[in-house]
Amino acid sequence: MVTDIRTPDLASVKPRTTQRTRGERLFGAFNATFLVLLCLGMLYPFITVLAQSFSSSGAIKAGQVSFWPVGFNLDTYGAVMSNDMFWRNYGNTVLYTVVGTAIAMTLTTTYAFVLSKPHLKGRKVLIGIAVFTMFFNGGLVPNYVLISALGMKNTMWALVLPGAISVFNLLVMKTFFENLPKELEEAAQIDGLGWYGIFGRIVLPLSKAVIATMVLFYSVAFWNDWFAAFLYLDKSELFPITLFLRNLIAGASTTASEGAAAAGSTTAQVSANIQAVTMILTVIPILTIYPFVQRYFVSGVMLGSVKG
Amino acid sequence: MSGVFGRTPIGATRRGVIGFSLAASGMAALAACSDDGGGELDVEAQSKGAMEDFAADTQFTATEPFTLSVLWTDWPDLPITDKWQFFKEIEKRTNVKLEVTNIPFSDATEKRSLLISAGDAPTVIPLVYTGEENSFVSSGAILPMSDYVEHMPNFQKYVEEWDLGEMIDNLKQADGKYYMLPGLQEVSVPVFTLVIRKDVFESVAGGIPQTWDEMRAALVKIKAEYPDSKPLADGFEGASMLNYAAHAFGAQAGWGFGSGMIDDGSGSLVYTAATEGYKQMVEFFHGLVEDGLLDTDSMTAANDGSGGGSVTEKVAANLVFAASGSAGTAIEFATALNETVGEGNYEILQIAPPGGPAGQICEPRNFWNGFMLNSEIQDSENFIAILQFLDWLYYNQEARELLRWGVLDETYTKDASGKITLKPEYRLDAYGINPGAPTDIQKDLGWSNSVFADSTESRMLKESYNSPTFVEYIDSVLSTRTPRDPNPPAPLEEMELEQASLQATPLKDTVDTATLQFIMGDRDLSEWDAYVGELEAQGLQTYVDLMNTARQRFEEENS
Repeated sequence: MVTDIRTPDLASVKPRTTQRTRGERLFGAFNATFLVLLCLGMLYPFITVLAQSFSSSGAIKAGQVSFWPVGFNLDTYGAVMSNDMFWRNYGNTVLYTVVGTAIAMTLTTTYAFVLSKPHLKGRKVLIGIAVFTMFFNGGLVPNYVLISALGMKNTMWALVLPGAISVFNLLVMKTFFENLPKELEEAAQIDGLGWYGIFGRIVLPLSKAVIATMVLFYSVAFWNDWFAAFLYLDKSELFPITLFLRNLIAGASTTASEGAAAAGSTTAQVSANIQAVTMILTVIPILTIYPFVQRYFVSGVMLGSVKG
Repeated sequence: MSGVFGRTPIGATRRGVIGFSLAASGMAALAACSDDGGGELDVEAQSKGAMEDFAADTQFTATEPFTLSVLWTDWPDLPITDKWQFFKEIEKRTNVKLEVTNIPFSDATEKRSLLISAGDAPTVIPLVYTGEENSFVSSGAILPMSDYVEHMPNFQKYVEEWDLGEMIDNLKQADGKYYMLPGLQEVSVPVFTLVIRKDVFESVAGGIPQTWDEMRAALVKIKAEYPDSKPLADGFEGASMLNYAAHAFGAQAGWGFGSGMIDDGSGSLVYTAATEGYKQMVEFFHGLVEDGLLDTDSMTAANDGSGGGSVTEKVAANLVFAASGSAGTAIEFATALNETVGEGNYEILQIAPPGGPAGQICEPRNFWNGFMLNSEIQDSENFIAILQFLDWLYYNQEARELLRWGVLDETYTKDASGKITLKPEYRLDAYGINPGAPTDIQKDLGWSNSVFADSTESRMLKESYNSPTFVEYIDSVLSTRTPRDPNPPAPLEEMELEQASLQATPLKDTVDTATLQFIMGDRDLSEWDAYVGELEAQGLQTYVDLMNTARQRFEEENS
């Protein structure tokens, strides 16, 4: 082996950075194993449900399905998808999520922008009003009476308006806006932009990361929400898919009383594979959003964490 | 908020807590606007649409059509559609159009509480089991039905015919009125009992046990044959098995624990969980656990999801041979066994709950679900017509047949002996009748829906749709078991209710914990006296006195 003056440098540097001590390797191996196991632990229920969705209901009841479908069938998918109510409720969920997220984003961004301006008079009061609702609320029945008196029962508005501003999201966004360089706005003002112009043409385009993150937060929240629908909707054709799913799955959780247990068992049991199929179909859309938003998401969650 | 649990002496369950808190928080809001005008009826002004000559066994037809709002529980596997023949036929026969408010089955009781509390409930609130009305009584949100049963001849006829008067009296609240009308049953058998592998019991244990001691002997033999098994299980956290077993020991437990008060034989009440019978029961089950005969997992595991999923798995895997369940559970076990043991290689049977030291006794005769009415209806001009309609719907024999089977000679036929046969072009999947026929009378036409069809049933109607094995079960219970006498009523007044539930909840918690500990062997039975001491330290005597005072008052006022 020929050695010259320059190579030892590289040779001595390289091993030091890549070759790890035994302890480090052990730690790395342990870390990897631990994380893989943790991952599997998280994935296991999901995979089981996926496997169940392709299995026969008898096999599921007999407890034979874990990682792999037993008694493979696609009929259940066909059966669930041919249910009109399923699609109707599915459509409702999409509608509620889109409209809800749009309204929520409009209100949250504008509110947060205003709150981020230190010179705003009454800013503290406005923040106080928002934060107050984080700790106190009217309670179930008064809320119900309010919504119903406002005539929002059995309409989409009962679901999308009360949850339009999440105070947590609002505060994160406010912090983000506060950290935008003041000079940008000043420059825009000098160039003749008003506040709306500044907000729409300067601030929003610079806030894609936080906006993407908030859209994700809001849409997941609206997609998963069943309780508001449960409270305020009385017609099954207005229900979102989550309520449909909850009815399907929680319907038979019946250890509370004999009457309930009997009611659960006198009607034909919803077979376990129908539950699985509905679950899979319900989570897929919201699950597929994650990869697309992830790059914003990773930078987004850090936003506002350090206040400068 | 002391009022949160203040409506019932029954221990708070998971769902119950939400339900009661809903009910109670609404109470305050409503108390202000409730009026006690029950019973005063302006017959002239309120009989729009009513029939003048309405009597038992006549068809009700409103003289003027009206619309009636109904709370409708949506079962996930039975989506309601307005195309159902059910709605059209009812309207055709009675001139009454039903307008439904849908609530999902999963959270039906919570939503019902919310609607009633917020004053938003539809007129008719079906699927009410006895006792569930208690939390709404003091608010004035529901109607005291007892004031109006004179307008309900069919109801009165069945009560008399089936000798249910005394049981109806037991529904009375502290004001001497009852607020719900239950589904009347000509015969009542326990819905939940033991479902066993008949083939295994017969081949290994030599027959079907009639008492708990025989059951124990049989389980020992099965255990010897299948050493890995724990042959007895309960998929309902023990609540179901203790419920039907307790009667055989002269106690009350599990689902049937109720207020915990039980007849002491002399007309007074004692706290069941401190009695000798309860101790015997706990000892018996502890013995089963010690010998590995009772599947302990199923006694503790919360079982959300399918009302017995893991027990079903164990039954399928020949690890459990007897478990609590209803007719539906039996079908579930069979589905799973088809997969593992194979069709035809097993037999599943519901057996009468085994007897015990207290005799061959089973639970008292029962009502099934009935209805309450929103109290706002008492000012309606259709009030009397509504009462007549509901009387017909719930208690008229023809209506009951209609609700179960559909239209006579269209969907089903009836021969001279009264035997009902579904026509070959119709099927009823829920009970496995005419499988494969084109139209399901339940899913496609809305008959046999659980909102109305199960409520009131004559024996003949009950037997007409159930499987022969279930009919056999009814027979075996009726011929070999005596229903226990119901406990003497002790309705509480509003303030007492609050007090009682404050005392009853911690007592019940102690009882639940100790019962499980004793059975599982986590606590030695020699500590029984110490356990009773704990109950006393928690104010057992005050509670018992309170209930007995109510008992005496009721007796004085109603004798």
